[in-house]
Amino acid sequence: MRPRHLDDDRLYECYVAQRRGEPVDPPAAEHLTDCEPCAAQFAEMARLMDMVRIEGEAEADAVFTPERLREQQQQILRRMDAVARPARVLSFPGRMMQRTIRVSTLRSPRWTAAAAAAGLFLGIALGASYEWESRGRMLPTLVSRNSLGSRGAHLAPVPSRGAGDGAADEAFMMELETALDRPHTRELAAFDAFTPHFREIKDQQR
Amino acid sequence: MSGDVRRVPDPEGVSDGQSAGGAAAGRVAVVAPVSEDTRIAIEVRGLVEHGELDEARDRFAELVSLHQRRASRIAYQYLRDVADADEAVQDAFLKVFAHIDTYREAWPFEVWFTRILINGCLDRRKARARRDRWFVGGGISSTHEARASVSKRDADPEHQALARERRARVAAAIDRLDGRQRTVFMLCHFGDCTPREVSAMTGLNESTVRVHLFRAARKLRGLLRGKP
Repeated sequence: MRPRHLDDDRLYECYVAQRRGEPVDPPAAEHLTDCEPCAAQFAEMARLMDMVRIEGEAEADAVFTPERLREQQQQILRRMDAVARPARVLSFPGRMMQRTIRVSTLRSPRWTAAAAAAGLFLGIALGASYEWESRGRMLPTLVSRNSLGSRGAHLAPVPSRGAGDGAADEAFMMELETALDRPHTRELAAFDAFTPHFREIKDQQR
Repeated sequence: MSGDVRRVPDPEGVSDGQSAGGAAAGRVAVVAPVSEDTRIAIEVRGLVEHGELDEARDRFAELVSLHQRRASRIAYQYLRDVADADEAVQDAFLKVFAHIDTYREAWPFEVWFTRILINGCLDRRKARARRDRWFVGGGISSTHEARASVSKRDADPEHQALARERRARVAAAIDRLDGRQRTVFMLCHFGDCTPREVSAMTGLNESTVRVHLFRAARKLRGLLRGKP
C-alpha cells in the first residue's frame, strides 16, 4: 500500500533541512523519491522559497553595499568611542556655577530670611495702619460734605445779602487770588514785586 | 498587521543585566562548541571588565564585521527602509557593547545579538506606525532612494523592471504575514537560524516556532501563487 502524500508542513520541513545541509527525515526522503506528485510539489515549493530568500537577500545586499557596510562599521566605532569617552566639560562655567552656588548657600544664613520676612510683615502692617488712619481722617470730611449736600436739598433758598457783604466778599476773593498768584518760591518774590499784574493794570485803567 | 509590534521577551535580562532565566532559557539549553563570535564576545567582555577599552573596541570591530551583513539583511527586511535599518543595526551593536558585561555564554552570541536587534527593529516599527498615524508622509523615502540606486546599477531596463516587480511582490507578501509569523520566517530565512535558535531569540516554544514557520510558508506560497 502506498503511503499518503506529504502535506505542506512536511514538505517545508524537508526543504529547511535540505537547505541547512541537515539529514532529511528518512521516510519523507524515501517518499519524495518514490512519489512524483510530492516530488513536484516539493520542487515547486523549494523554488518559491529560494526565490523569496534570494530576492530578499539581493535587495538588502544591493542597498547595503560593501562601502556602506564599511561606513556603517566606522560609524559604529565612532559612536562606541563617544560612549566610552564622555564629552569633556569646560571648567570655566562649572567653577563659576559652583562658586555662585557656594556663595549663595554659605552667606545666606537662616536669620537673613527670617529678618526679610519680619521686615516685609512690618512694612505691610505699617502701610495698612497708615491707610486706615488716613481713611479715618477723611471720613468725617466726607460725612460732613455728604450731610451738607443732602441737607442743602431740603433747605430753603438763602436770602440775598446786601451790597456791603458783596464788597467784602470781593475783597476776600482778591486777597485769595493775590495769595495764589504770588510765587511760592522765596527767591522769585523780588521779581514778582517788579512785575506788573493784570489786576493792577486793570485798576489803573479804571 | 496584528501582533506586529510585540517585543521579543528578554529571557536572560539582556538589557537590565539580570539573569532571569525565562521560559525559553529553561527549556532550551544550547550545548554546542563555542563559535568564533561567541569566543570573541567573551574576550571583549573580559577586556571591558579589565578596563582595556581600546583593545576591547578593536576586538569588537571583528564582531561587527562578522554579523554586520546578516544584521543589515534582517533589519532591512523588518523595516523596509535603508536609513532605519542602518540605524537599527548601529544601535544594536552599541547596545551590545554597552551591555557586554551581562553577556552569558550559555547562549551563542548570535542569538543574544539577534534578540537585541529584533527588539530594536520592533520598537522602530512601532514608532513609525505611531508617526504615520499622526503625520502624512511626504517626499521620497530612503526605500525609494534605495530602489533608485539599485536600478542605476542594473543596466538592462527590462531585467531591472522584472526584478523590481518580483521583489515588490515578495516584500508585499512578507508584509502581509502576521507579526510573529513574519519574525519567525525572517529569522529562519534571512537570518539562517534554526527553529531552536529562533525559539531562544523570541522566547516562543520550539514547536510554536515551527507552527508559525509552517503557517508563514503556507501563506506565502498562497500569496505568491496568486491565492489569498
